[in-house]
Amino acid sequence: MELSSFTSVILALSALQGPGTRLTYRIRVIEPAAVAPRVLASGAVSGPLDSDMRLTLRTDTAEVEALFQVTPLGDTVTLGGEFFSRRRVGQSRRGLPLWEEDTYRRLIRLAWSDTARIYPFGTGKRGGGGGGGGRRALWVELILDREFAGGEARAAEAFDLVDSTRDFRLEAVVRPRRARVILNLVRGDTVSAPRPIDLIPEEPPRVVRLVLKGRATTLVVSLTRPDPARSARDRALALDADIVCLRVARPDVTQPLGTLCGRLNNVARQLPLPTGDTLAATFAWPGWR
Amino acid sequence: MTGADTSHEQWLVQIDAELDGELSLVERAALAKHLVTCAHCAGARASQLEVRVALARSAGNPHAFVVPRPAIRAGTLALWVALALATGVLAGWVADRRWGGPGGGATLEESRGAIVVH
Repeated sequence: MELSSFTSVILALSALQGPGTRLTYRIRVIEPAAVAPRVLASGAVSGPLDSDMRLTLRTDTAEVEALFQVTPLGDTVTLGGEFFSRRRVGQSRRGLPLWEEDTYRRLIRLAWSDTARIYPFGTGKRGGGGGGGGRRALWVELILDREFAGGEARAAEAFDLVDSTRDFRLEAVVRPRRARVILNLVRGDTVSAPRPIDLIPEEPPRVVRLVLKGRATTLVVSLTRPDPARSARDRALALDADIVCLRVARPDVTQPLGTLCGRLNNVARQLPLPTGDTLAATFAWPGWR
Repeated sequence: MTGADTSHEQWLVQIDAELDGELSLVERAALAKHLVTCAHCAGARASQLEVRVALARSAGNPHAFVVPRPAIRAGTLALWVALALATGVLAGWVADRRWGGPGGGATLEESRGAIVVH
């Protein structure tokens, strides 16, 4: 009997965490009002099961940035939130604003069908830094959905800001499992044929041959993750989640020629080579499979 | 104020100075002559003397020639200064905890975000 339960848990986990499951964060930002609560914004973020959601709420006197992550376990899910908040607490003697920064973590376990209510500015009437003075602070309703998807899909975001005077943002945070890197050799006004290559971070180096003006250049390239961010805020909010680094070396030399780091945003980054050519690398999300 | 009143006030000052031993012989002689003719000033001098006797008695020395001045010992003074400083520092610390610095009001935990299952 125990073996059967254990097996069913393992099977459920494997089914949930497989590439076929898609996770959706559905949110509504709600402000309390005299008659009925008012929806200020609504939206959804979806992606693979390891997708995170970054939520930013700003008012004149407070800013809250939070990164939400889920860890599924059977019919329940653990929702974790890394909060980074700034509150305006007054003015300096020279009349400049003074801000108080705070970082903390919240963890809660809920069923998939439950609604989580997030109070980004605190639950109390006194602590409401949401610009409402003594009023009760706004809250965010979050519903987590999971559904079967045919294969690994890209992240998607949809956000509808009902009250345009508010500064709210919603972002999907996905750490790329692979990246498409397009390599070119450039010299003056001559560019080699683009050489697209799909790379997986931390996989063994690959040999690439680029030809410019009939001259072949062989390079060994590998994809790595960047070093951990220096600031606690960048680490907590995973601001470098979609940054990858391309390590470029010559085949016979262990010392790299250089490393190019960048986001998967189709922007070419250049690395001068000892041959006088310049290697241009463009990072992008991989195509559909 | 009339000229007579002004001169009377001056005689009262002179009486005070005489009892403190601050008058010269000439001034004392002039004052004595005036006291013979002025019953009011003589009464004022007697009152002044009675007050000084009372002060000397309260200081524990009824046979003193002059009013004994209150003596403050160095240790007592240092103790009071230290006590005043400590009270000031303590009051400042309490006021700073209660009202000092920006960001007062709600506690830190009240100002932090929270997640609840609804």
